[in-house]
Amino acid sequence: MILLRLISYQYVRKHVLRTLLTLTGIVLGVAVFVGMHTANQSVLFAFEKTIDHIAGAAQLQVTAGETGFEEAALERVQAVAGVRVAAPVIEAVAHTNLAGQGNLLVLGVDMLGDRSLRDYDLEGSEEGAIDDPLVFLAQPDSLIVTKPFAERNGLATNSHVMLNTAEGPKQFTVRGVMRAGGLTSAFGGNLAVMDIYAAQKMFGRGRMFDRIDIALNEGVSVAEGSDRLRRALGPGFQVDTPTSRGAQFEAVASVYKVVANITSVCALFIGMFLIYNTFAIAVTQRRAEIGILRALGATEGQVRRLFLAESAAAGLIASAVGVLAGMLLARGMAGYIGAFMGEVYGIAERAQQVSTDPRLVFAALAIGVTTSVLAAAIPARNAARIDPVKALQKGRHQSLGEGESRRRRRLAVGAVAISVICALGKTGPLLYLGYFVTIIAAVLIAPAVGVWLARMLRPALSWLAPVEGALAADSLIQAPRRTSGTIAALMLSVALVTGMGGIARASYTSILTWVDTSLNPDMFVCATEKLTDRSYRFPREVGDQLRRVPGVAAVHEVRVGRIPFRGRPIMLTAIDVAAFHSRAGMPPIEGDPEGMYRDAAAGKGLLVADNLAIIEHLRVGDVVELPTPGGLLRLPVAGVVTDYSDQQGDFLIDLAVYRKYWNDDTVNVFRVYVAPGAKGPDVERAIQAQVGSRQRLFVLTNREVRAYISNVTDQWFGLTYVQIAVAVLVSVLGIINSLTVSITDRKRELGVLQAVGAVRGQIRRTVWIESLTIALIGVLPGLALGALQLYYWLEIARRDISGYRVDYMFPFGIVAALVPVMLAAALAAAIGPAEAAVRGSLVEALEYE
Amino acid sequence: MNKWWAVAVLAASAMAQAQDARGIVEESQRRNRSKSQRYEGTLEVINAKSKVTTKQWEYLRLGDYGDSKAMLRFTEPPEVKGVALLIHNHPDRASDQWMWRPQIGRDQRVALQDRSARFFGTDFSFEDLEERDVNQFDYKLAGEETIDGAACWKLESRPKQSKTSQYTHSFVWIRKDNYVFAQIEGFTKAGLSRRINYREIQQVQGHWTARRLEVLDAKTNSRTVLKLEKLQFDAPIGEGEFTLQALRRS
Amino acid sequence: MIALRGVSKTFDGRRTVTALDNVTLEIPKGDMAAIIGPSGSGKSTLLNLVGGLDRATSGEVAIDGQALGGLADDALTRVRRDKIGFIFQFFNLLPTLTCFENVAIPLHLRGWGRGRIEERVRELLGLVGLEKRLEHLPEELSGGERQRVAIARALSVYPPILLADEPTGNLDTHTGADILALIHDLHDRLGATVLMVTHDRTVAASCPRTILLRDGRVESDERTGA
Repeated sequence: MILLRLISYQYVRKHVLRTLLTLTGIVLGVAVFVGMHTANQSVLFAFEKTIDHIAGAAQLQVTAGETGFEEAALERVQAVAGVRVAAPVIEAVAHTNLAGQGNLLVLGVDMLGDRSLRDYDLEGSEEGAIDDPLVFLAQPDSLIVTKPFAERNGLATNSHVMLNTAEGPKQFTVRGVMRAGGLTSAFGGNLAVMDIYAAQKMFGRGRMFDRIDIALNEGVSVAEGSDRLRRALGPGFQVDTPTSRGAQFEAVASVYKVVANITSVCALFIGMFLIYNTFAIAVTQRRAEIGILRALGATEGQVRRLFLAESAAAGLIASAVGVLAGMLLARGMAGYIGAFMGEVYGIAERAQQVSTDPRLVFAALAIGVTTSVLAAAIPARNAARIDPVKALQKGRHQSLGEGESRRRRRLAVGAVAISVICALGKTGPLLYLGYFVTIIAAVLIAPAVGVWLARMLRPALSWLAPVEGALAADSLIQAPRRTSGTIAALMLSVALVTGMGGIARASYTSILTWVDTSLNPDMFVCATEKLTDRSYRFPREVGDQLRRVPGVAAVHEVRVGRIPFRGRPIMLTAIDVAAFHSRAGMPPIEGDPEGMYRDAAAGKGLLVADNLAIIEHLRVGDVVELPTPGGLLRLPVAGVVTDYSDQQGDFLIDLAVYRKYWNDDTVNVFRVYVAPGAKGPDVERAIQAQVGSRQRLFVLTNREVRAYISNVTDQWFGLTYVQIAVAVLVSVLGIINSLTVSITDRKRELGVLQAVGAVRGQIRRTVWIESLTIALIGVLPGLALGALQLYYWLEIARRDISGYRVDYMFPFGIVAALVPVMLAAALAAAIGPAEAAVRGSLVEALEYE
Repeated sequence: MNKWWAVAVLAASAMAQAQDARGIVEESQRRNRSKSQRYEGTLEVINAKSKVTTKQWEYLRLGDYGDSKAMLRFTEPPEVKGVALLIHNHPDRASDQWMWRPQIGRDQRVALQDRSARFFGTDFSFEDLEERDVNQFDYKLAGEETIDGAACWKLESRPKQSKTSQYTHSFVWIRKDNYVFAQIEGFTKAGLSRRINYREIQQVQGHWTARRLEVLDAKTNSRTVLKLEKLQFDAPIGEGEFTLQALRRS
Repeated sequence: MIALRGVSKTFDGRRTVTALDNVTLEIPKGDMAAIIGPSGSGKSTLLNLVGGLDRATSGEVAIDGQALGGLADDALTRVRRDKIGFIFQFFNLLPTLTCFENVAIPLHLRGWGRGRIEERVRELLGLVGLEKRLEHLPEELSGGERQRVAIARALSVYPPILLADEPTGNLDTHTGADILALIHDLHDRLGATVLMVTHDRTVAASCPRTILLRDGRVESDERTGA
């Protein structure tokens, strides 16, 4: 590839800035890909290790969903032949009240038996004795913390730590510090160990365990052991290996993965157009050079290979840089994803090591190079077709691609037709095909639409600024090749933002409707500050205490918890259905709107959230089997409703059914309605005074809950803002690229303008106007594509991601904000090129080449 | 002492030579029999780094080998006061044990699987606190040795049911002059696990008994010294002292 | 009046090239001078310096007594805009704009009103005989017509100085003669100072004054009787 060195290198050297800009497109795309996936993998890996560490030597774990089970199960487990050790565990998430420390996973264990499962490698002791084990056991405030946590907070043995408990914030005493390694690396050290019975008391768990960790006798296989345990325990219990818990969580995190992938693909796709643009420009500019090469005997194949090799080299370099940037990005992202998982698990997972999988690096390089080569394919073909004779004639431009653009238009029309057909059909594959084809059509049609729009805009522009405006428009009309890629990239970015914004807006609206109809109590009395935190629960009696508070009209008890359903942790909501329905409801989707509540209230059926129903293919009348500690609970689906209580969807059953099957009468949340005439704040004060004095509780007003929900929704869509940022950045780069080329091409024109009396401000203005016009030309079709894209996304999200059914709604608000942002970005992008335009030598500009 | 629980674990004999071994243990059990026992114990745990922690407990026992009941209550230091262990020994199987922690306010069964755990930070394991009948073990004479200047028989004992003990086998040294236990070594698969020495052997109310026990945890090199004070045999103690209700009274 | 005092211009590259070497010249108002000389003698450089497209390395270029050297870029542009009209060998029309628009550029750049521009452009194009070609694009015109448009553009505000760089260089002899005649005609009618760089002896001969440059120096400065 001597050509590459002799020809390409020189060109690159002459156009350093532009080369860099183009590469930045791939760099960004690859960086996002590597960053997101590395972060994702690292966090998942850390999470799996955490599970591993927490599980210790346990070979099997017995659970009954999140609801826990009665202590008696322990003796049943211990009696099973082949079980060497069975150690009960409670996991509770406690807020530390320490600045920046977030939550702590408190592992309640039975210190007697647990030793043989978990290695509490303690500081300052030989075999891991706690400073005084007797004191540890005797005092319920005893806590063992990890060394990282101790170091972060300056704790040592006998230091005190405040933790929130069911009885309010309580002071705990550090009785031991676990040495680094093993268990301590779980959740980045945000883990503490205490006595399980003390934990039951502190976290209001009654006489329940969350889990029993099991080690088997030698010679008993895991399969054999779990089989025996299952038979001994019945259907309400799950017997799994610790790793399968990680797998369950992975399923929860898969939604996030989908979002990460979409972002990467979008960034790369947009980046592809930047590369296409650069190569298209390069081919035009290097026409003469290519002509000489051809005249010297280079074959078409050699010329094409030259350009493809260039693109491959560029792709490789850019991908390599992108991989490095991605690794850096991953560090930032890991925190974000960790926090996101924290929402699900209760504690933010800190990825200890953000390390990139070599396979991922390889994939990223391959993707980068492929994208680059693909993008360069058409320009390379055009280069190969250059006629050496025409190319060598000075001043004559070979009009390239007339046929190409005709072909493209024809293809685009075909694609539009197909996408319309697909949009009419509603089956899954057709939907994806339709989406794909729509994008293709948009991309194909973008250059033609760009020119058309530029023509439309010309009169307006020349009216606004007769010379600058007209010239800017002409520049776009005359050289569509220069800008088509940028316009396509812009269009896609805008479509991306519009689509995302649309989803966000549609979701908000749907969620608000649900909040209005379903979350209408005046107050929520919770055991924790957060509505979704399920670490603490109330004893049932608190409900009666609340009912006695003057001004309280009604109190509905709610018990929520995840239970395993078809291998996934699904939320179960138990409530007095009749009482609930007398005051609230949930937008019904399927089933008799009144009858469904009657059936559910009578314990003859359950309600399913729409999204869960879609994902699990549940219809009214289908019988759902829920494993409970009291045996298998079989209930027919009485109705499908809109319920956003949980991202995965939930089941709603009557509280009486729950209490019977789970033998658990604790309560997570009380829904409190204020009597007519009573004032909310007064009732709140009365609750705090009468009940809050005996029981730690938090009163959340309806408004606070709404704020919380919109906050959570925001957080969820936070990821999409990353996408938006990437999209805008890529577009800005595209515009800079196009303008840089444009001012080179228009050097002479700009020189003439200056020669005949244009001051620098006027020259700058024409570059700015060109930039704004490019932006406008990209934004307008982008909005149209965004509108279409939103339709497809909502469908795809409903079918395959969340299952949420959201109404189509064009995000006018976001668009209203986006257009000025894009125009401002375009103006910013024009600053550099505009300065370059006024800086050049006039004499040179006017000289004939 | 003639009537120490851990001692009793390892009483017995049988068959020609083995018969002799079993006979020795049976004789030891016979001589050290008493209706009840009470003492106040002072514990000093000296870990490998020579850090010393001191505690006190009060011990009550009613009944005899294989059929006894014992209650152990911590009295010092204040932060552990009231923590208690109730043991019901059985002639044919491992004992039942419950512990009580007043601050947590509930009793808790000590599962069989957990009997090898250290007893509340001492170098005794829960199992070491049991009294077992001679019949739960097989004995074999392993020689004669001198312990603390006294001639002893050295016996090897193995539990008849392996699941009931953390030890695969133990060696027991019994003094020839008064049939009192002088030393016990408990072994696991990994080797020597625990050694108990009986010292300051005196006669109290006609019973030969050690006033000082030294336990060595061979793995951690931590030692516990137990001094028996206010030792009293055959005092009248009611059955009611050894129920779960009594445990919860602490 | 154009005045050059000891003007030198060097280009720094790998080899320093002296394009003009200590040139002193005076071209009085209303004069018409041809600058001739072989390739590389510094003709175009001289014109660029006078037109304010480039700056002298040393010495002083003054237009109507105003030294260009001390002016900022935009001030220089204003001098150019108000006092100088350029005619290029390759016309340098903007290909996407019509004749009308091309001629209108300098007027727009001055911020004239539309009505006034319209009036002036028609007048100018009439002056160069192209009143019928208002809406044509440059590529639809012949070489001579294009140069006429370029001249009309150069005249847009009737500048006192007209600079022409090989105005006939890219035209056939006949058309070249027409354009030359037009320039003479305009010089006579408008009384502008005309400075013309040319290769063409006939063109030079038609001017009352001929300045011969060689190696960046003024070799001769003659006035013919014409």
